[in-house]
Amino acid sequence: MNESAMLYNYLLIGGVLFALGLIGFMVRRNMIVMFLCVEMMLQGISVSLVAWSRFHDDWGGQMLVLFIIAVAAAEAGIALALILMLFHQSGTLDMAFWQDLREEDQQAFVDHKVPEDDDRDRIWPTLTPAGIEPEVDPDEQLHRSKI
Amino acid sequence: MTPLPLLVGQFDDLLRSPLCWGMMLGAASLWLLFSGRSHALRVMGKVLGGISLMMLAATLMMVGDWSSQIVFCFVAAVTVVGAGAAVTARSPVYTAIWFAVSLLGTAGLFLFQGAQFLGVATVVVYAGAIVVTFLFVLMLAQPEGHAPYDRISWATFAVPAALVGAAAVMAIVLTSLDSLRAVDETTPTPAIAGSSQHMAELGSHLFAYHLVAIEVVGTLLMVALVGAIAIVLQGRKSAAESTGGAAPLPGGRVVPGGGGLPGGTR
Repeated sequence: MNESAMLYNYLLIGGVLFALGLIGFMVRRNMIVMFLCVEMMLQGISVSLVAWSRFHDDWGGQMLVLFIIAVAAAEAGIALALILMLFHQSGTLDMAFWQDLREEDQQAFVDHKVPEDDDRDRIWPTLTPAGIEPEVDPDEQLHRSKI
Repeated sequence: MTPLPLLVGQFDDLLRSPLCWGMMLGAASLWLLFSGRSHALRVMGKVLGGISLMMLAATLMMVGDWSSQIVFCFVAAVTVVGAGAAVTARSPVYTAIWFAVSLLGTAGLFLFQGAQFLGVATVVVYAGAIVVTFLFVLMLAQPEGHAPYDRISWATFAVPAALVGAAAVMAIVLTSLDSLRAVDETTPTPAIAGSSQHMAELGSHLFAYHLVAIEVVGTLLMVALVGAIAIVLQGRKSAAESTGGAAPLPGGRVVPGGGGLPGGTR
């Protein structure tokens, strides 16, 4: 294997992942999606670190990725709790709802034109039915024989 | 020696490289996917994204023989396509699913480099736990329909600003990578990747050199767990107080002015 080619490819992929996460974080407004984008940036960093670890034949990079995973898990727990609380208070996951926290001399952000929701975009993930359809006993529908 | 001719020369090189064009096409594709008003524009964005992906794949260097190159390209494509789809998907549920796909690709990349433990840990921790938790919260929060804020971004400058920022990041990465392209030789696999005792070596290194850090991380996870529970409990209590003792309506917007809200204090 060509180790510098390996490093080049991995750093390129890591950079692309980081850039995509950055774009998503700045463009999207859903709090959960923004958080996932931050996780994606962490993934880009992890890919680069593992590549460097292999290139230098050193365990340091992999150790750091291990700790990144642990810290990211802790961070995800806290962030989910915070998001859930904010959602309970506002009823929306929109980041713009909290724009009252902005500086005093900043103008309020107003949505001008919200694009229509296309029917073709409104497809939700479903599970395909699998297995044998269970036989339904009509008597069971009316009462519970075993509790 | 003025830097200007140097810069112009580099610019000339840049215009000839498929990498640069791949990046530009990718940026255009993201722009269309983010702000495309009609279905046709979004389809065009997807096509552009595919083309840019192929141009990027053409710039990748050969890591070894063709079979390993094909495996690498496949795993890398899964990672990047999953990431791009996660960022651009309108429904947050799809974002979480595509993010899981991207994580599987990342785990594949780790395995390809011989980092077996990290690959498995990524699948277990991220795809197994984090993404499932996120899906749980998403289902809780948005049972149906696309919210307006998933269809629109910030003001008009958000997408260009983000793309320019990402372009800067990629430019820094790529200019610093240039010297790597010159090296073209087969090198022996490093001991860290080719070892048959991967787990044993990783474990001995981890517990020999990073013992304190491991303990600290364990404590951190514990504290985070307690903290998450405390945040939710405190939030419930303060929300109940601010609405006059009554629990807040599930999914209902608390009336501004009720206190406890940043909007209510102005």
